[in-house]
Amino acid sequence: MKLLAKYNRVNIPITIATLLLTSFVFYFIIHYVLIHQIDKDLRIEQQEIIHYIKEKGVLPEFSNYKDQQVEFQPSNNTFFKSGFSTEFEYNQKEDETESYRKLEFLVTANGNNYIAKVKKSQQETEDIVQLILKIILSVIIFLLFVLFIVNRFLLTKLWKPFNHTLEQLKQFNLSSKNKMVLQKTGINEFEELNKTVLSMTEKVSKDYELLKDFTENASHEIQTPLAIIRNKIELLSQSENLDDSQVNAIQSLNDAASRLSKLNQSLLLLAKIENRQFENTEKINLSIVLNQSIENFEELASIKNIIIEKNIGEDIFIEINDSLAEILVSNIILNAIKHNYQNGNIKINLTENLLTISNTGPMPHENTSVLFERFKKNSSSGDSIGLGLAIVKTICETYGFHISYLYEDGIHLVKLSLH
Amino acid sequence: MKILIIEDEKSLSESMATYLSSQDYHCDVAEDYTTAEYKTEYNNYDCILLDITLPGGNGLKILEQLKEDKKTDGVLIISAKNSLDDKIKGLNLGADDYLSKPFHLSELNARIAAIIRRKKFDGNSILQFENITINTQSKTVTVENNLVELTKKEYELLLYFASNKNRIISKEAIAEHLWGNDMAGNFDFIYTHIKNLRKKLMDAGEADYIKSVYGMGYKFTGK
Repeated sequence: MKLLAKYNRVNIPITIATLLLTSFVFYFIIHYVLIHQIDKDLRIEQQEIIHYIKEKGVLPEFSNYKDQQVEFQPSNNTFFKSGFSTEFEYNQKEDETESYRKLEFLVTANGNNYIAKVKKSQQETEDIVQLILKIILSVIIFLLFVLFIVNRFLLTKLWKPFNHTLEQLKQFNLSSKNKMVLQKTGINEFEELNKTVLSMTEKVSKDYELLKDFTENASHEIQTPLAIIRNKIELLSQSENLDDSQVNAIQSLNDAASRLSKLNQSLLLLAKIENRQFENTEKINLSIVLNQSIENFEELASIKNIIIEKNIGEDIFIEINDSLAEILVSNIILNAIKHNYQNGNIKINLTENLLTISNTGPMPHENTSVLFERFKKNSSSGDSIGLGLAIVKTICETYGFHISYLYEDGIHLVKLSLH
Repeated sequence: MKILIIEDEKSLSESMATYLSSQDYHCDVAEDYTTAEYKTEYNNYDCILLDITLPGGNGLKILEQLKEDKKTDGVLIISAKNSLDDKIKGLNLGADDYLSKPFHLSELNARIAAIIRRKKFDGNSILQFENITINTQSKTVTVENNLVELTKKEYELLLYFASNKNRIISKEAIAEHLWGNDMAGNFDFIYTHIKNLRKKLMDAGEADYIKSVYGMGYKFTGK
């Protein structure tokens, strides 16, 4: 869920509830205050009536105004308790029921008891309250609308530096040496985030450089002792009069040293491709590279009596380093020869966008999805070190080619999408 | 033939010197930059084996100095840095070839032989072994004036053997020489190549010069 959505999900109901609650409270307060005002008026009227009777000794004339009426009823009830009440009355003129506020109290004039009723229409008060309520409700709706719009734009704007940082992080590439450029925000939280991101990526880059240097230096340092070992073995093998056990020992030493040096060289190559040290990318005529590579391996294939059928489009160019183009193509072809039957065949097709190399061969023992991973090899080829296809894959990833492998009906198919 | 080995690793220069001496080269060794500079300035060599990382300086500088002095010594760069930059830089500066560590001594020997052939005879060199004549310019092989039809790899194999005669060459070295690094370990192909080469030479009337040495590899040796 997006932050804005989550924020709105909490914010909007709370805002609505708060506004509704306050408007109810507001309504009742205003209502109470206005009724209280009417009651006060009625009290004043009561005072005036009582005062009049006291002075004149008679009931005052009925003086009915539009919104205030007074009437007297004779009564024998001497214990009448005075009090306010609300009553509804049908108004014919306006064709609606109107509410009145009424004060009843006992008065004595000329020795007779009367119940005095003072009434005042509540209609105007009600109208005012309703009007106020309507105003409040429309303000609420308007406020919610404004709030929603403002939140939407303001939050999007506020989060912009964050999104920018995020975008930069997504594009962050250890092997490219570009430093991250982050926007100044003026917002403390984001400034701190940016500072942390910058210092972290700097540290990561530094560590990566160190590791890279270490790997390369270590591999280089291994080369010289390896060279000494291999050369001494070679010299040793030249000696006369070696007995069988010595020969066996020399052979084992030789095998191990060969494997070690091949491993070291392959790892060094992989590290270099990954570190993008093959910088001089140029337009390479893949058709020529492919033809040369096939020519180089034709004899090898003919030993197994493998027929190579090729269908290579002319002048198909790709952007790649030329050494890597050679390694890429020769590794795939070599693989097709190695893992093939006697009298098998290899089909090589090159079009503008697609290079396919298919060959007959025994079914792979391993799960084919891991064939391109390091040190995953088909167990039938015990002599290879299992890095050939990993190198192919790394080259493809570096230059943005898509490679796939399929085994179907006895055919191994390697597909390379070039663009 | 005089060769200068510029290499700071003593064991390595010893091995090279031992192997190359057995191939009738006279070897001189320099272990640091100053000695190398001195020796290359006052002597002429048929081939200089040049390590790039040297105590006291960069080997490429010696190469630059040689070219400045218009010396014609062949130069084979030997480097632990299998980096393309060094290779391209070295070859641009006028080195004749590049070999990265670790290498087979037989490969080193074959490369030196090729450089000397190119330098001394302008590539127009004839290699003679018993009755076999290898013309490295036309890339043809004759036995007593009869042309022996060899495939490309068989020719390369024969030339490799002829450059390393009387020495045992391991199968790994042959595989690497013929196909580069990736094929080493796949020896079926080598057996076939050797079988075919042997047959063709014997059909042309030669004795079997390619001796299998149990557990070691092959030896190209005359009568």
